[in-house]
Amino acid sequence: MNHDEATRLMISEKYLLGELTPNQREQFEEHFFGCEDCAMDVRAGHAFIAHTKAALSEPTPATTMPADSRSRPAGWFGWLRPALVVPTFAVLLAIVGYQNLVSVPKLQQAAATAATPRILASVSLLNSNARGETLPTVAVRQGEPFLLFVDVAAESKYQSYVADLVSPAGTSQWSLSIPSENTKDTISIRVPAQTQAGTYTLVVRGQGDSGSSVELGRYRFDLQLHN
Amino acid sequence: MQFHAFDAPYLERLCSGDFPTEEHFVRYFSELIRLKLRSRVRSPQAIEDIRQETFARVFATLRSPERLRQPERLGAFVNSVCNNVLREFYRSSQRDNSIEDDDQTESLPDTTSDVLTILTRKEMGERVWLILEDLSERDRRLLREIFLEERSKDAVCEGFGVDRNYLRVLLHRAKLSFKSLYLKSLGSKVRGAAADQEG
Repeated sequence: MNHDEATRLMISEKYLLGELTPNQREQFEEHFFGCEDCAMDVRAGHAFIAHTKAALSEPTPATTMPADSRSRPAGWFGWLRPALVVPTFAVLLAIVGYQNLVSVPKLQQAAATAATPRILASVSLLNSNARGETLPTVAVRQGEPFLLFVDVAAESKYQSYVADLVSPAGTSQWSLSIPSENTKDTISIRVPAQTQAGTYTLVVRGQGDSGSSVELGRYRFDLQLHN
Repeated sequence: MQFHAFDAPYLERLCSGDFPTEEHFVRYFSELIRLKLRSRVRSPQAIEDIRQETFARVFATLRSPERLRQPERLGAFVNSVCNNVLREFYRSSQRDNSIEDDDQTESLPDTTSDVLTILTRKEMGERVWLILEDLSERDRRLLREIFLEERSKDAVCEGFGVDRNYLRVLLHRAKLSFKSLYLKSLGSKVRGAAADQEG
């Protein structure tokens, strides 16, 4: 593992969140013991998590409250002072108005869309792992999801599989766990709307008993976005 | 303490027993060793034992005729010695399987109680509050459930309608906001330690 790879794949975040396999964890530790930048990243992240845990398990500290609210006890009905009631009700009125005019119609529209059958763009990656094949292309409307079809070469030594979608910029978009029983047939994956056009790569890995993972294939495809 | 370069003169000073270099070396790698061990060993006493044994072996090698000659391998060397000590610890404790547990890892702030550390800790706590206040209510609740609740991260993310990558990016951004203060605090600690030595 090198520094660029560790940064690009957000390995220090994965390490801090306990998301790495034992093998990946050992590789990253070997790297950050010799890489001051990554070591600093892990140390700062660990300190942030430690302080966040402490902060979130306590009530809001006094330093973040306005000075007058600390010096003067308000009593049970303190919140009824006109200085608080008038702006509070004005804000509530604005919220109610916004919900009725904007949020509720939007939610109704979203619910109606979700319940309506529709045709999604799709791309088959069944042959895209082979050498010399032309890159499969999918043309999708902006903000629309699409479907990926892929076959995973299952082997009995793997307990499960993981598919990672890597964007044209090289960042991991999401990670999907695939149970071994799903690999008997072609897998269809609904991909959430992407904002960036270009060549994406679906990386499929097999995960063994010991938690180690092995890359089984890379499936590239072109995403075209239109209005 | 992060401003030292692990180069040939550093390795030379370390091998020849230069005290400030030794102190920097032990402080720097102690923190990395503790970070490494926190997900593998529960007992603080065992972590301390493994840390000390690692340094004892590292220094023994550095001062032997077969000493390390490549300064760029220094970190990897400490890590491999620590791995060996850890493996021996597993064997002797005969609890290999029950010791590893990522979700049970402890991340507690440093509890050292000197004045400088207390002030730094307070400042870092306040910075964390400011960072958390800048987050949306949903992101704050997400962090709370991830770090404080005993639920799986996948279940928490699903409940919030986000994926694991969203969580990583959230942590990454918060960490970047926090990092400058953290670096400053390390500088203060080093200056404080140097002043103690001079005094």
